[in-house]
Amino acid sequence: MSNIPAGLPKPWTNMLNGLKTWARVNSPWAIHFNSGSCNGCDIEILATLTPRFDVERFGIKLQGSPRHADVLICTGPVTTQARDRLKRVYDQMPEPKFVIAVGSCATSGGVFQGCYNVAGGIDQVIPVNAYIPGCPPRPEAIIDGVVKLLGSLQEKKPEVKK
Amino acid sequence: MSMEIEILLKMLVFPGGLTLIALGLLYEYIDRKLMARFQNRIGPRFLQPLADAVKLLAKEEVVPQGVIPIFFVSLPILALAGALTAGLYVPMAGFAPAFSLPGDLIIVIFLLGLLTLSIGLAGANTADRFSILGATRTLTQLFSYEAPFLLALLCPAILADTWQIDMVHQSVLGRVWLALPLFIGFFVAVIGLMGKLELAPFDAPEAESEIVAGALTEYSGRGLALFRLGKNVELVVGLTLIAAFYLGGLANPLEFLLKTLGLLVVVAALQALFARLRIDQTVGMWWRIGALLALAQLLIVVILKGVIL
Repeated sequence: MSNIPAGLPKPWTNMLNGLKTWARVNSPWAIHFNSGSCNGCDIEILATLTPRFDVERFGIKLQGSPRHADVLICTGPVTTQARDRLKRVYDQMPEPKFVIAVGSCATSGGVFQGCYNVAGGIDQVIPVNAYIPGCPPRPEAIIDGVVKLLGSLQEKKPEVKK
Repeated sequence: MSMEIEILLKMLVFPGGLTLIALGLLYEYIDRKLMARFQNRIGPRFLQPLADAVKLLAKEEVVPQGVIPIFFVSLPILALAGALTAGLYVPMAGFAPAFSLPGDLIIVIFLLGLLTLSIGLAGANTADRFSILGATRTLTQLFSYEAPFLLALLCPAILADTWQIDMVHQSVLGRVWLALPLFIGFFVAVIGLMGKLELAPFDAPEAESEIVAGALTEYSGRGLALFRLGKNVELVVGLTLIAAFYLGGLANPLEFLLKTLGLLVVVAALQALFARLRIDQTVGMWWRIGALLALAQLLIVVILKGVIL
């Protein structure tokens, strides 16, 4: 999505694009969605948001509304019941939006792979920008994943595979 | 011609427009940083509020189903415009107000209320249940703190025998701080400002753990950015107004910074100290205690004025 007027001179466009990228990298607001996780990863995400790790240093803020969020942090395999809800939450977020899959189950389905009621990892339902493996990943790993995703925005590479 | 340019500069650059928005972002940063330090965190970086605002402005704006689009788009503009206009009538940075007319105290209080009203209407406009609940709470709360806040700001005005902000400001300059003799009024005004800005403990309208984000749940991108900027500007205008009335006036920019930032430290400390009140507790507290305190202060001022003068 670009809302910069087309007729602007090149240096201006570059400067405005740079400003936009800078703002996006420095202010990722997150929303957390659990599509069938065992709560292990959710607890680690909550630990990430505590004063001990203080993610507000990086501008990360947990938002309640998908409309306010830039980054969708997903945990758990996608159960067939949560599938539509996950899709709907993703569709409610305004562009540009990014998805991070946290934990082994979110990455591939984990131990629930092939279960009759599980659709698989998050990337079976919505496009995923970054994967953070671990069962569960430590808060440091989650912060590292978010920072790497944001770093990839600056290098104009849309996907990070970890 | 030069007259018109001067007026435009006053409205768009100083003391209105850009200056107010920049000050608003600076004060938001200081507020968040103080809160973080009180909570034993490191807190946001210096340009964080600017990054938030630019990012939101550059994001897609979703106009959800079930809203009246013209209201959905225009209410954020109205909110920010109201807050910015209010800034033109207060002694910003210690200089004389850009515009001044008899009775502008009422205008400023109305313009500051316009932001809350816009947020309430914006929430009521959407079909989302969380927005409607948030809007109801916002407007209920508006009715509780507005009267005590007005009465608290009226006390210095009655002492100065004028309802013109500039004249009140001139009359308190260089005298003993009105916050000392009129401490009840000062107290009510500071708490009233926190209610107006929906800061903790009066943040029931946007209680993120129960009703997502209150009235602004459906707003994304530009609309949310403008509402946030409006709140920041209102914080600056409100702090300036209280400092100008109760803290011995703002003689120069240095005094402006010291006094408003001092007030901001108090406001941030109160935010960190108290947990969120339920909406019925908020309303009950304002009408049982706040309004009575403000009325008592007004009575004291009127009687003292009659006896001494």
